[in-house]
Amino acid sequence: MISVLEKSPTLHWLGRQLFNRDDPAAFFDPLLERINPMWVQQYIPARVSAIYNETADTKTFVLAPAKRWQGFEAGQHVNIGIDIDGIRRNRTFSLSSSPIQWRTDGTVTLTIKRLPGGLVTNWMHDHLETGAVIGLGEAFGDFHVPEPQEPALYIAGGSGITPVLSQLETMAASDYRAPVTLLYFVRTQADVIAAEKLHALTGRWPAFTLKVYATSETETPQFLSDQHLDEVPGLSARRCYLCGPKGLMDLANDLLYRRGITDDRIHSTFFSAPAANLDTDTLGGAVHFERSNLDVSSEGDAVLLEIAEAAKLSPRYGCRMGICHQCSCRKTSGTVVNRLTGKASGPGEETIQLCVSVPSGPVSIDI
Amino acid sequence: MKTMTETQLKELEQDLDTIRDQVIADLGERDARYIRRIVRLHRSLEVGGRVLMPFGFIPPVFVAATAALGISKIIENMEIGHNVMHGQYDWMNDPSLHSQTYEWDTVCTGDSWRRTHNYEHHTYTNIIGKDRDYGYALLRLSDDDKWKPAHSLQFINYILLSVLFQWGVGLHELESERIRRREISVKEKIPFLKDFFRKGGRQAFKDYVFFPLITFPVAPVVLAGNIGANLIRNLWSSTVIFCGHFTQDAETFTEEECEGESKGHWYLRQLTGSSNFTGSKWVHVLSGHLSYQVEHHIFPDLPAHRYPEISEQVQAVCRKHGIPYNTGTFAKQYSTVLKRIFGYSLPDRMRNRLLPEFSSAGVQ
Repeated sequence: MISVLEKSPTLHWLGRQLFNRDDPAAFFDPLLERINPMWVQQYIPARVSAIYNETADTKTFVLAPAKRWQGFEAGQHVNIGIDIDGIRRNRTFSLSSSPIQWRTDGTVTLTIKRLPGGLVTNWMHDHLETGAVIGLGEAFGDFHVPEPQEPALYIAGGSGITPVLSQLETMAASDYRAPVTLLYFVRTQADVIAAEKLHALTGRWPAFTLKVYATSETETPQFLSDQHLDEVPGLSARRCYLCGPKGLMDLANDLLYRRGITDDRIHSTFFSAPAANLDTDTLGGAVHFERSNLDVSSEGDAVLLEIAEAAKLSPRYGCRMGICHQCSCRKTSGTVVNRLTGKASGPGEETIQLCVSVPSGPVSIDI
Repeated sequence: MKTMTETQLKELEQDLDTIRDQVIADLGERDARYIRRIVRLHRSLEVGGRVLMPFGFIPPVFVAATAALGISKIIENMEIGHNVMHGQYDWMNDPSLHSQTYEWDTVCTGDSWRRTHNYEHHTYTNIIGKDRDYGYALLRLSDDDKWKPAHSLQFINYILLSVLFQWGVGLHELESERIRRREISVKEKIPFLKDFFRKGGRQAFKDYVFFPLITFPVAPVVLAGNIGANLIRNLWSSTVIFCGHFTQDAETFTEEECEGESKGHWYLRQLTGSSNFTGSKWVHVLSGHLSYQVEHHIFPDLPAHRYPEISEQVQAVCRKHGIPYNTGTFAKQYSTVLKRIFGYSLPDRMRNRLLPEFSSAGVQ
């Protein structure tokens, strides 16, 4: 009801005048939250409706987002926001369920593995309970099901299976007839996530081939090799999807590339920010934080977000891996290099993401 | 100002940094719960005040509604807005409580405030000529300004400033005194004036047009109540702020003594240029904990509700270094502020005779 303040331009204008904020509907949040946390407007609330164990260190959280959440396509990610010890932590995860499930019963799932030392994943495993409400962002990402149908190869590692699960479920339900193979690398058989679901898929979807490889059950670890790829029929005609730890992704990219599969037919989605090979000699420089009237120097080994934090500033941030744009702010002058892509920005005023931008020469930032 | 050697200043810096580090290491759930509870209180009071106001034709309801709205504005300006904009809650990473984007319920824009208050006033505290908050370029509060006959009427200016405080604060960045002296031109201030009119217009529209109009049959009642609420906030915030730096023993500084100063010297200046007043828990909340002005000025970005908790430690550091810690009851502190405003409105000889506590050796 209150969200009408955001939808109607007139009311939104009025709300801004009355409540002095660009998101006027959120003005009432502190009160609404007490009545029903699902009425909060600042973020899209999602209630945890069930939690179940996938493996010893992986859980699936079933979420029911508020009605205004706009849905997603199979393979996309979302940001979630959770307050832990007073601090809003934003993290990006892939949705592991299919859009069909969301349309049927209004729920989505996140399948999350405990990250060693990970603040948010461990907190979710230890403290997040059924009935709790967390923040959910709109879905984003361009890891999409092939359209029109064509033969596909998925190479997934560990919890990198999550967006793949969403896509496979969607394809199975859409009468996908082109051959689809999944090479799923796990440490041991006990680490297979959604084993039941995957086996059910092989049963009811004839075009689908599932191959699970345990890397650490034998004396010498078994990583992805040409041998595995040899077993995939018609490989060169397949569109390839990679999702998993960086080592596996690099290896897969390399092997596929050597078989003549071009970049435009390989789609990857990342778990941790990959660092492009940056020429660190040209990086670093004086950083001027305009609003704080602060000048610091940098060596090229740190991104602007870290530089700002080291200077005791606390700019807004989210995923810290260049995905969520929570930390976007204005660069008024100077050049920065994007750590993910290795690309340099223009020299003028523009919006940059603090968490992936490394100064290249002197820069001025509007924080 | 008390003179301290660089070694002593370094030690002062370390002692105060220790207190600060302890608080920072302990920030968490408790602070988040505190500020969210205060925000909830503000929303309840504002919604309550606005809903009750149309029924203000019943006198006790008028009083309750005006008080609720006035107090809601006080809490929003003092304990939420001022403190959030200092970055006291930035670590929470909550976009609604972020220093760089927060906009408060008063005429002054958040951006202008961040420039004139957070930067100018907190950096150059009580340095005559650099801290434009000292007397707001309107009042003569020290010998640094030569007495002129016009100063004899400054008590009237003070009352006007207090009554219209939000407009005064809103126009602070205009630097009208420098425009009068032709140091800057009005042209340079056009971007500022645009923002001022936008925000001032917004505030006036809300309280003096929109809410009265939608309750049309009782519009005069709502208008009167809203004016009353703004007046309550103006008088209280002006009073609290004047008690922070203009009490009898709050010191002023010259640009020369602060040139190239160390962090320790900056701490010393904040400690001796600020003054506290005592009171109940609610007095502190309603003053945005600026009743702990000393603690606020040494640690402007620590959550304000922590100031009472660290006050003892700060006093101990002051005792150790022989630095005065300026505090007293609200009545005592405020009476010295009034005496200062009155005293400096007089020609120096008359002041020295009538108010010897404000006489200064240099003038006699």
